[in-house]
Amino acid sequence: MPGVEGFTPQGMLHEGWSAEVEDYAIVCGWILGGKALLVGDVAGGLYLFEGKSGTPLWQKKEVHKGGLLALSIHPDGDIFATSGQDGRVLIWNSEQGESTNVIELGDGWVEHLRWSPDGGFLAVAFSRRVYVYGIDGHEHWKSEEHPSTVSSIAWSKSNELASACYGRVTFFDVARDEVNQKFEWQGSLVSMALSPDGDVVACGSQDNSVHFWRRSTNEDSEMTGYPGKPSQLSFDQTGTVLATGGSDVVTVWSFEGKGPEGTVPGQLSLHAESISSLAFSNQGMLLASGARDGAVLVWFLKSNGYGDPLGGAFAGELVSAIAWRPDDCALAAVNSKGGINVWNFKMRTKSSPKGF
Amino acid sequence: MTIEQKVPVTILTGFLGSGKTTLLNRILSEEHGKRIAVIENEYGEVGIDQGLVINADEEVFEMSNGCICCTVRGDLIRVLGNLMKRRDKFDYVLVETTGLADPGPVAQTFFMDDEIRNEFSLDGIVTLVDAAHIDQQLGRSDESSEQVAFADVLVLNKTDLVSDESLDILESRLRDMNRMARVVRSKQAEVSIDTVLNLSAFDLDQVLKRRPTFLEPEYPFEWTGVFSLEKGRYELSLEEGPDPTMSLVVLEDQGIDEAALNAGAESCVRLYADSAELLHPGSAVPIEKHVSLQLQSNGRKSFFLELDHPTHIGLFTQHTAEEFDIKVSRVDTLITTTESDGKNDALVQPETERTWVAEHEHDDEVGSIAIERIGDVDPEKLNKWLSRLLSEKGVDIFRTKGFISYAGESRRMVFQGVHMLFTAQPDKEWGNEPRHNQLVFIGRNLDEKEMCREFDKCLV
Repeated sequence: MPGVEGFTPQGMLHEGWSAEVEDYAIVCGWILGGKALLVGDVAGGLYLFEGKSGTPLWQKKEVHKGGLLALSIHPDGDIFATSGQDGRVLIWNSEQGESTNVIELGDGWVEHLRWSPDGGFLAVAFSRRVYVYGIDGHEHWKSEEHPSTVSSIAWSKSNELASACYGRVTFFDVARDEVNQKFEWQGSLVSMALSPDGDVVACGSQDNSVHFWRRSTNEDSEMTGYPGKPSQLSFDQTGTVLATGGSDVVTVWSFEGKGPEGTVPGQLSLHAESISSLAFSNQGMLLASGARDGAVLVWFLKSNGYGDPLGGAFAGELVSAIAWRPDDCALAAVNSKGGINVWNFKMRTKSSPKGF
Repeated sequence: MTIEQKVPVTILTGFLGSGKTTLLNRILSEEHGKRIAVIENEYGEVGIDQGLVINADEEVFEMSNGCICCTVRGDLIRVLGNLMKRRDKFDYVLVETTGLADPGPVAQTFFMDDEIRNEFSLDGIVTLVDAAHIDQQLGRSDESSEQVAFADVLVLNKTDLVSDESLDILESRLRDMNRMARVVRSKQAEVSIDTVLNLSAFDLDQVLKRRPTFLEPEYPFEWTGVFSLEKGRYELSLEEGPDPTMSLVVLEDQGIDEAALNAGAESCVRLYADSAELLHPGSAVPIEKHVSLQLQSNGRKSFFLELDHPTHIGLFTQHTAEEFDIKVSRVDTLITTTESDGKNDALVQPETERTWVAEHEHDDEVGSIAIERIGDVDPEKLNKWLSRLLSEKGVDIFRTKGFISYAGESRRMVFQGVHMLFTAQPDKEWGNEPRHNQLVFIGRNLDEKEMCREFDKCLV
């Protein structure tokens, strides 16, 4: 068919394995270099599965009284941290599933955890403050009180941490205890993503918009028109595009040229219900999206933000988290009924020059 | 595909010391078979005994557009967002706000946030009122009158600390501010759980079942006293008051319970519609007739009542007994002859008294405006008017509720609003029911005449 070209690459989700945990699964991640999948449920259950077969390796019950809230896997994959409604942070040994350090923050919820890119620090958001701990659980730094509960944290460099809350994004130098940069804006920031080069800060806002700041120029802009609040944000690892949720369409802003200001974003529409999770692959322009109805789709994106679906699968219930295996050859999704699905992702990057 | 039931939420507001924690403990300790999650903003001294209790600091989030109806409560979004993942653990949510909380953002959170709206439904707003202190609070703070204005149920608490008369006055003041709410009296927050939970207050049919009309009956009289009198001659004496005359209707066989008082009031409203006969001091007061007592001369004035059989007399007076110092005394001539001063007045105390909402009494800034009209409305005109009204006065309009008969629409349109957030949805078929419109606005400094006039322009 002249003039019509099939897009490349093409890929497919092949059935891998599935399992179940006891309650609403809220977090998942690959550890031990992709050899095992770690899943946490809302009741505080932690489960480790062998990555290829789904064989249960170990499981823990009620690791946080009142419930689990966050999980962060150390860059080397051998340790990870969890936090919960009990006001505690636990640091775990991945292989044995033993908690090696306990950090007590007090009465309240510990909602966000992030290991620094070099793995030297663990950042913890607790109510209106952010704390930074060493790998041994010793407090290294803590922030002043924010004007409201911290809604998101992210590392821009190994010693620079960003926090978002109502009306403000702040960059802290945690080594020198200084505020490097502050952006103020009257709105409730519900999510935050930093571009890999560290220049762009993107925040989903309660008023159904995405707000951008450029650190180099202090310029900001606002992308409005979302039907819901964009709680899901994901940059590809080159920082070329940002995928956002907030509706049943994945909206992709491209930072090519002068964008995204004044450009029309890519609109990936195939989902029947609102997006509930988004994750870019570790390499390349593959995006996985999960929705409230349990559908999981994988897209191949172009640098202008437009893209095509590569494959899809049904996970049964609201997809609460998605994780690409480090080699991007498998994708895990966990759902609100405790279901876990792992698909093998196979892709051919070149269309056959000779046809069949 | 299963449609999951949304989890109902009750918001509990009221000033510090109004008894919220007592009520909360009562609800949680009662055997009702419900698993209730409680979100507390106020860390009371009395601990909550049971249930899933989450403490959260109040966080009011205003949006960059400055729109008051977009203001939400960040703490609730956070806590409820987490709670909805545990929905098998509870089937009802109670949100207790601080005494100073503005109920607007709390209510708006359930309409503005897409995720919360999907999982939870606002069932009703319950405001506790400390009967002994609310008078001062209403004068001092906006929050207090807004909490009254937003309520679906007003629990008039600590009634044992104030007299029945002041309770009546307080209740009519509160009703004047919020005609939509149901008023429940209690001593130590002893109210049945049904008055607080599963109100379906945002379900208009439930509301109308309780209150078929939002129009508060307003009476041309302010006071009723019922006197149990023997056969004989009685003197009705009055001091000078704020007015040179005062209207009065006397009823015979007047009962003293609420129903009998209301029935008496209804028949008096009709009698008051007749023109009054002027009565000079010294005259006999007729029964069941609208009279106007002439009180221009100085000193105490007397009128007389002749009874040929024992009865309960009901006095329905234009002003309160206090204003004119109204007294009923027996002046029995058979006895007076034996007395040295030739007079024996035996003062008769009323068996019961009550005050009514008078036509002119709208002192509070916050009030309700009810519009009830027969006929159809032009949807386009109505929308135009309502959008203009809400954009101009949305900040001052706290709640809107009611239904409208759209011309050409076979179903009734149900209206609900919190500030500028407004929904209109077709509801049940009119069928044989006569087409009519019923709307109530609760707000601050609303111009009733202007609003009624504007509404009338929308009628077909």
